[in-house]
Amino acid sequence: MNLDEILNTLHISEQSGHVISTEEGIILHNALLILQNENHFRKIFFWGRIFGTDNDYYLAYGYRSDALHDRIFYYSTNCLNWGLLPSPTEYAKKLTPLCTVKFQGDPALVLDVLLEKDEISFGAPLQEPQVKKLKEEDRLSATIFFINQEVLTLPRGALFKRADGVIVENLSFEGLTTLESREIKSFLHFRVPTQKWNTNLLTRDDYNYAIDFLDPLDTDIPEGCWLQNLTSSEDIVVLKSLYWPGMFFYHFLGTPRYGFLYFGNGIKCLDVPFFLNGLYPIYEDFFAGK
Amino acid sequence: MINDINNTGSIIQVNAEDRDLGISPIPNDESEYVYAKSFLQKGSTVTGENLYDHLTEVLNKILSERPENVVDFFEEYSRKVKEKRFRPLTDHLEDIFVAPGRYKLANRLMPLLKPLAPDEPSTLDPEDLERADMSKNNMLELLFYFEHSGLGLPRTEMFCLTMSLRQLIRVAPIANIRFWGKIFGMQKNYLVVETQLKEEEYVKRNENYNVQEDNKIEDLALDQLENINKQEEEIAGEGEPKKIWDTLPPIPKIQYEEPPEPPSEPSGVGVNKKVYYVCNEIGEPWVQLPDVTPKQIRVARQIYKTFTGDLDQPIISYPHFPGTERNYLRAQIARISASTHISPLGFYTFGGEGMGEEEEMDEEMEAGNKTEVKENLRYDPVPIKDLTDKSMMFWVHHNLHILNQGRTTWWNPNPLPEGIDEELGEEEEKPTLLGPEPETGPPLLTPCSEDVTLDAIPAWSVRCSSGIAEEYAVAVVRSNFWPGAYCFATQGKMFHNIYFGNGLKFLAPNFSPTPLPPVEQDYPTGPEIMEIVDPTGAEEEAWRIAHLPKEKPTKLAAGEEEEPEEEEEEDEDEDEDED
Repeated sequence: MNLDEILNTLHISEQSGHVISTEEGIILHNALLILQNENHFRKIFFWGRIFGTDNDYYLAYGYRSDALHDRIFYYSTNCLNWGLLPSPTEYAKKLTPLCTVKFQGDPALVLDVLLEKDEISFGAPLQEPQVKKLKEEDRLSATIFFINQEVLTLPRGALFKRADGVIVENLSFEGLTTLESREIKSFLHFRVPTQKWNTNLLTRDDYNYAIDFLDPLDTDIPEGCWLQNLTSSEDIVVLKSLYWPGMFFYHFLGTPRYGFLYFGNGIKCLDVPFFLNGLYPIYEDFFAGK
Repeated sequence: MINDINNTGSIIQVNAEDRDLGISPIPNDESEYVYAKSFLQKGSTVTGENLYDHLTEVLNKILSERPENVVDFFEEYSRKVKEKRFRPLTDHLEDIFVAPGRYKLANRLMPLLKPLAPDEPSTLDPEDLERADMSKNNMLELLFYFEHSGLGLPRTEMFCLTMSLRQLIRVAPIANIRFWGKIFGMQKNYLVVETQLKEEEYVKRNENYNVQEDNKIEDLALDQLENINKQEEEIAGEGEPKKIWDTLPPIPKIQYEEPPEPPSEPSGVGVNKKVYYVCNEIGEPWVQLPDVTPKQIRVARQIYKTFTGDLDQPIISYPHFPGTERNYLRAQIARISASTHISPLGFYTFGGEGMGEEEEMDEEMEAGNKTEVKENLRYDPVPIKDLTDKSMMFWVHHNLHILNQGRTTWWNPNPLPEGIDEELGEEEEKPTLLGPEPETGPPLLTPCSEDVTLDAIPAWSVRCSSGIAEEYAVAVVRSNFWPGAYCFATQGKMFHNIYFGNGLKFLAPNFSPTPLPPVEQDYPTGPEIMEIVDPTGAEEEAWRIAHLPKEKPTKLAAGEEEEPEEEEEEDEDEDEDED
């Protein structure tokens, strides 16, 4: 979320119920400006808040030149003192999905992660249950990495790939139209693309090399794992992911204003296949005996 | 005229000289310009556009807009200009007015924004006309505290909600009303309002209570099923006695008996104490949710389904959920209310007026299960330091715990003389004889510090809304089991429980669906239905030889021809039996 919008989050809360309180907003606004200045960031964004049982983590990121590859994350437990978030280690990336407890809010805390028998994240299946140690700071960094990979979102056209390969914000972005906003394809994953460069181009007829270099959301499975809602006034489109409850993306239609926020406990919800309801009319037919 | 002729003559002369000398002409600005311009103006053979006009337009746009670092986005600008040009100028839909997106919303909200019509003079008792107290339902005031706690809904929505509630209490017999929260569904969301109806209304609703018991309906259905089964058997019996049917065993009967279903609590009691109204969006009519049955609560605990936003959406799940999303929503609301509605210590008491705290405690001990709490008129606000204490000692539950049975009070499934449920004196003795131990939950007003922790996750997280200005701060409590359930308490006498979430409980290990029960046996195991190894060719041969008719050795050939057929028939019969 852009710094300017931190102070006015109430009007985008219709679909999430969460806002940044005035005091929090003012502190964040100023603290992040100072952080931006110290790091010579071209732009700085508020990323979200991870609820811990004792303390909450606030996260922010900024970039110097490349909006996609140069992102640097900072975290804080009180909005005032910001610390650099370490880049996720392979070890933490393997252990984080196995953590079931909530974040506590102490970055120095060392967690015990229980690996069940036959767990295969570390190569060969384990012969017997094992306990591994994980520092909460590393877990936080791996969690942020996963959320960024999976659900950080952009409207199509918001980023622009310059001829020299550097990705910058598109100054001529004028926002999506109402019609475009109804298509999940108009939203792109804000991550280093995982598919071949032409895969995303070939799926649309009005492709543009400079814009369609990111993966669109329509390849995510199962269909329906993204909730796409218009607010009742039909001027803001809101995306939510079922995998990461608390993730929240908004875009003011017809304007270049968009943003991403995460207010959640930082645990991925793997129950999506069970709780999709009403998306499979075939089953209804089946139960009706057709 | 003469001059002109001379001039043209000289140009021709120069040109002639150049040609003669064979030297390239001296760069002539004007002609170069004309040449280049005519090249740029050459129309595309495909679209008829030309570069000259395009560049003019692009430069024009850039100069008028003067964006930063324009060279980086030059292509983008160029593309946009081009796109605009291809939009048809003669828009045939021009005359059709397309309503702006907010129009629908405006239409919905307008009725709320008009002043309410004055009350008509009525002959009814003024007490009957008394309406719910709205003084605590100023949503904008509530929003002020929500914002402190990091929660909120848009200001318009909150304001219109107040207006909407004001209209609701005029048309429904409501004694008490409160904004419960918002449940986010897949397509639409639910705004939920918690109400307590007037006494007469509860009496009216419970008049048919005994008649409409769910059990009876189920019994009826079972009876009908049995009848159908009997009829089928009769038909089968009356049919022509075929040879193979003699060997068929009777149709298997279902051995499984459903355990007796506890009756649902009457309106105004236990889980049905409150009545909930929901609507998808402000301005739509409020829909009353039906009362919840114990079975619905029990099944809701076993399934994990999101809400779609359509009250009539069937819930497709195992175990089967009795009802539609309407009932599921009601069951989830009951569960959320029961486990997350908390209040600061001392805000509610057990109704003993003019008693000291100690006396109240004694009374609590004596009564054991008190089901009613009353607002403590002499509530002394708990200081914020205590409210934000991590032990949660100063917060208490004011809603009854729901037992495993799906009720707040335990119902004895096997009372000795059938049908007498209400003789409490007897019931107290029976459990000792019969065995089933009555389930008990924590009594009302139990401190939250005694809540169970699940997998090292404490039930509650508590925050102070401000780190700087403590004198204005509110205490915010967040449920860790029901993400989205919050409670805030000001330093004055105000607190509010609110829920903004998707209506699902947090499960520390992931959700695992209930496994299917083991397959029931159709028939008792016996030789008829057991799987046995087919006889080999040699065995068949041996059997055939052993069964050769011996008395008629002369007609051996004919006997041989007949017998295998019989065998085959018998085999077939056996096969059918097995099937």
